[in-house]
Amino acid sequence: MIKAESPALHDGSRIAVIGAGPAGSMFSYFFLNMAELIGLQADVDMYEPRQFCHRGPSGCNHCGGIVSESLVQRLATEGINLPGGIVQRGIESYTLHMDVGDVEIATPLMEQRIAAIYRGHGPKESAPEAASSFDGYLQELAQDKGAAIIRRLVTGIRRVDERMTVQCADQTSVDYDLVVVAAGVNSRLLDILESDMPAFRQPDRTKTFICEFHLGKELINKTFGPSMHVFLLDIPRLEFAALIPKGDYVTLCLLGDDIDEELMTRFFESPEVRNCFPQNMIPPHVCHCYPRINISPSRPIYGDRLVMIGDSGSTRLFKDGIGASYRTAKAAAKTVVFHGVGADSFKQHYAPLCRRIDHDNLVGKFVFNVAGLVQKARFARRGVLRMTRGEQQRTKGPRRMSGVLWDLFSGSASYTNVFLRTLHPAYIGTLVWNLVAGNVRGKSTADSHATEGDGSHARH
Amino acid sequence: MAGLGREYKAGEIIVRQGDAGNCMFVIQKGEVEALAESDGRELRLRSMGPHEFFGEMALFEKEVRTATIRAIRPTRILTIDKKNFLGGVHEDPSLSFRILQMMSHRIRDLTDRLAGYEEVD
Amino acid sequence: MPGTDRPAEKAAAPSFRTLAQQAEKQPPCQVHCPNSGDVRGWLGIIAQHEKNGLTLDQAFDEAWGRIALLNPLPAAIARICPHPCEDRCIRSDKDGAVSINALERFLGDWALSRTLPLPSVMPRRHEESIGVIGSGPASLSFAYQMARRGYGVTVYERGESIGGMLRRAIPEYRLPHDVLDAEVNRLLELGITLKNNTDIRSAIGFEELRDQHDMVFLGLGAQAARRLGIPGEDGPCVTAGIDYLRERKQHSQSLDGRRVLVVGGGNTAIDAARSALRDGAHVTLLYRRSETEMPAIAAEVTDARLEGVEFRFLVSPTRIIRDGDEITGVEIRPMRLGEPDAQGRRRPIAGKGPPQVLAADLVLSAVSQAPDWHGLEAILDEGGAPHADQDGRIDKGLWAGGDDRGAGIAGNAIAQGRFAAESAHAELRGEPAPRLQAHNQAVQGECVQHDYYANRERGERPRLPQLQQLADPDAEIDQTISPEQAYREATRCMSCGLCFDCQQCFMYCNAAGFTRVTETRPGNYFVLALEACEGCGKCVELCPCGYLELRDTEVAPQ
Repeated sequence: MIKAESPALHDGSRIAVIGAGPAGSMFSYFFLNMAELIGLQADVDMYEPRQFCHRGPSGCNHCGGIVSESLVQRLATEGINLPGGIVQRGIESYTLHMDVGDVEIATPLMEQRIAAIYRGHGPKESAPEAASSFDGYLQELAQDKGAAIIRRLVTGIRRVDERMTVQCADQTSVDYDLVVVAAGVNSRLLDILESDMPAFRQPDRTKTFICEFHLGKELINKTFGPSMHVFLLDIPRLEFAALIPKGDYVTLCLLGDDIDEELMTRFFESPEVRNCFPQNMIPPHVCHCYPRINISPSRPIYGDRLVMIGDSGSTRLFKDGIGASYRTAKAAAKTVVFHGVGADSFKQHYAPLCRRIDHDNLVGKFVFNVAGLVQKARFARRGVLRMTRGEQQRTKGPRRMSGVLWDLFSGSASYTNVFLRTLHPAYIGTLVWNLVAGNVRGKSTADSHATEGDGSHARH
Repeated sequence: MAGLGREYKAGEIIVRQGDAGNCMFVIQKGEVEALAESDGRELRLRSMGPHEFFGEMALFEKEVRTATIRAIRPTRILTIDKKNFLGGVHEDPSLSFRILQMMSHRIRDLTDRLAGYEEVD
Repeated sequence: MPGTDRPAEKAAAPSFRTLAQQAEKQPPCQVHCPNSGDVRGWLGIIAQHEKNGLTLDQAFDEAWGRIALLNPLPAAIARICPHPCEDRCIRSDKDGAVSINALERFLGDWALSRTLPLPSVMPRRHEESIGVIGSGPASLSFAYQMARRGYGVTVYERGESIGGMLRRAIPEYRLPHDVLDAEVNRLLELGITLKNNTDIRSAIGFEELRDQHDMVFLGLGAQAARRLGIPGEDGPCVTAGIDYLRERKQHSQSLDGRRVLVVGGGNTAIDAARSALRDGAHVTLLYRRSETEMPAIAAEVTDARLEGVEFRFLVSPTRIIRDGDEITGVEIRPMRLGEPDAQGRRRPIAGKGPPQVLAADLVLSAVSQAPDWHGLEAILDEGGAPHADQDGRIDKGLWAGGDDRGAGIAGNAIAQGRFAAESAHAELRGEPAPRLQAHNQAVQGECVQHDYYANRERGERPRLPQLQQLADPDAEIDQTISPEQAYREATRCMSCGLCFDCQQCFMYCNAAGFTRVTETRPGNYFVLALEACEGCGKCVELCPCGYLELRDTEVAPQ
């Protein structure tokens, strides 16, 4: 008897997708799409006991809620256009706040290209509205394609002979030909997998902080506009902080090295932050959580009839996690439709993408470390500010620093790409010039918020 | 209701025939019409609504726009950068599949219409 | 700008005022059971048996044990209880209440068929001697609770048979004698001395009894029927419903072709009406209020109607028309509902319209009963009843419970017997009164998330087919469900206010704050490490039964 070839799907195959967040839903959507094209009849069961139509943390997958520019475009190209009800606000620009001044970074297109969304149905106690969950929307797309939602909590995955068994909290067990783990990193499922499969190691994680402030649509339009407000402050361990205006609420997202209350207090006490709010007062928040994010990938990321996608596998460091979910979900779907579900199929066709993401993250770590130096060194902050302001004032000419900052904040380009651009001689040269000019000419001008930086609070 | 893209009023021109182009457009909401000008006459090619693409040829060729696109009603349109698209296709060739499907559909449509004109002659 | 901060205005640091905590709550089934039955507890033993390493049979045994701690006669009581627990079941708002009553009956019958012993019974270890007057549900409950705590108990019963109203008045199609007798005998086998055919008034004397026993419990019931208070009432052919029910158990009688009028709206009236029907009569029931005010169990009223009892509402008899030793009819007048009385029930007052005469051969009056304190006048107060505290204590060494403290359902009697015993035991042993323990907070209905639980219709209760019911008048109408039905129904319990291991809190806590307990049992599966809680509230929002809640801690500095 010839040794069996790498296992593959056939008509009647059954796939279990654990988790119906963006990764799980997009995997199911693309899988069913492509399977239909080649005439493959397979069933997809998405296990998701939570309901994204619930407000507050129970219906939410905890994230700042930014769909990056590049992801918006890729989804539109795939035929997935985010409906108006899902987009809480179209973001047009970034406003960078530092102690030395503010600057608004916009593109000349006058177009809102970044979507600020709610992963769930909005913060606790938010007013009733028609469905606005981003995750819910993607889940519906998958359901429309034929995926079934199973509202049961998965508590174990076992390999039994040539099949995989999914076990649930209500003591039921079902067999599948393939299990796709898209459970994120904020559930205990990966802990359970670690104990069930000794070779498996889940991602290393760090703690972030997200909360919502209620200000009302009008006030937010006036104070924040369609701009995402980003802070580069000299607070140790804080890598990135952003205020993202949405509908009636503003989302605060703090990323860094294990965000804790001490760090948050320092952040809230910074005048740069307080000055963003009406009357320079930060109101009490209405909804908060401390989601964990990956700082390393899972190992291994696949096995026979098993693959990890989204945050459960490899994701981008700090930014554009949803974009990484899309890419890994699609790559996994292509692999299982066109190649097979064995470990070698994943190794050949899925792992390379994950490796690219992981390597890019190493560059990203370096880039954020450099950004950390800028955060610490006042003279660097002045230089960056001056260079950016200069670019924004001109209508023509390359906007190198603006572009680097934009792509860094939005996750629209790979970190490698961003890094390479910072090696461009023109970039380095201009930056050095601005470092000198910004620091020699006298502090009062450079630190002034009353100069051209004042137009930074976009009024629309 | 928030939305993505840029807003155009009714009657506003989005692209003009003959302009250089390096992006594709996807309609988020509203309606546009495609007009081709030839010998001073304006020929209405088709109208397009939400989720439809136009200007996709600019992604594949370096030619100028082949038609003028004008908004019929208040419309919101998202642009797809050439660079973003080609980068995406390089990583994942299946990204272009839907565009190919639509182009195939358009060719079929044009073939039918052409056959219709040939008959008249 | 640095250096120009407004003075004395600190930033609003996040205020983490609320953290999650595990807090068991009292479900409405327990709150509304007069005996505070741990319904959720014994349903959970069955529904969660696999998680806790029990076979289904073992789970049934243990569930019955849980019931029997509070009630020694579940098979009997379940057959006649109007189940206030079920009426308040939160699942009623979803797809039908859990069939608690059918399950209690199943477990009662299960224990009898497997001859399970009553739980946690101590051998005789206390010297005090306990005397119980009466052998109805209150007395039996009191006797049981004292006997299992190790006291020697003697029960004095005036009649031949044991069980009070349960035995003598309730018809067999509701409560068969063999079921009651089996449960009573099981109880007596604890070593309780029974002295039946002994009327303490004549045989011993009340004071002498009090000398013989350290503690006496009065379970006299309310066996004296109240009078109608209308002319023509005295004489043959007008009988108290309760007396009619008792007599027909001793001597069967035929009422073929007779026209019987039953006056009253409680369970006794319905029992009398349906029994008369079975004896061949044509029966009309008269009630002075409307149907919605009838205190009788609604299902019994429906059954009575289906069997052919006619109902006349908002009428009251004004006189009995006699003809020698017989009666020919009853004059009735219309009533209407007036203002609510102290208990909130609308008072019936004379209505407009002429009186009417209904033909009748026999009138059964069931307009409430009262206790017969004859021979015990020494303990009565000016109101004509002994003054007892909330546990039934009248005096040192003297307790009472059941219908003699106020008419109610049998479940009430069981409860009063138990509370009296717990209190009496505490007093005898010099311990603090048990009823001072604080209860958990009650479950708020809106904290139970209906859409978590899959829809599953309530199981149908098996019954004798309609035709068979009257063909064999003494046959029990309602049947016991099967073990499969019992398990299925138990799993419909939503475990309001107590953890049932849905595992969502454990699975979804961002801080991994929940750890699984090694020895699990219903209600005890996970422990929340309070210092780990980050206050996001996700677990509380996900918890389908309202067990997890937010609590207010100190306010962050403003």
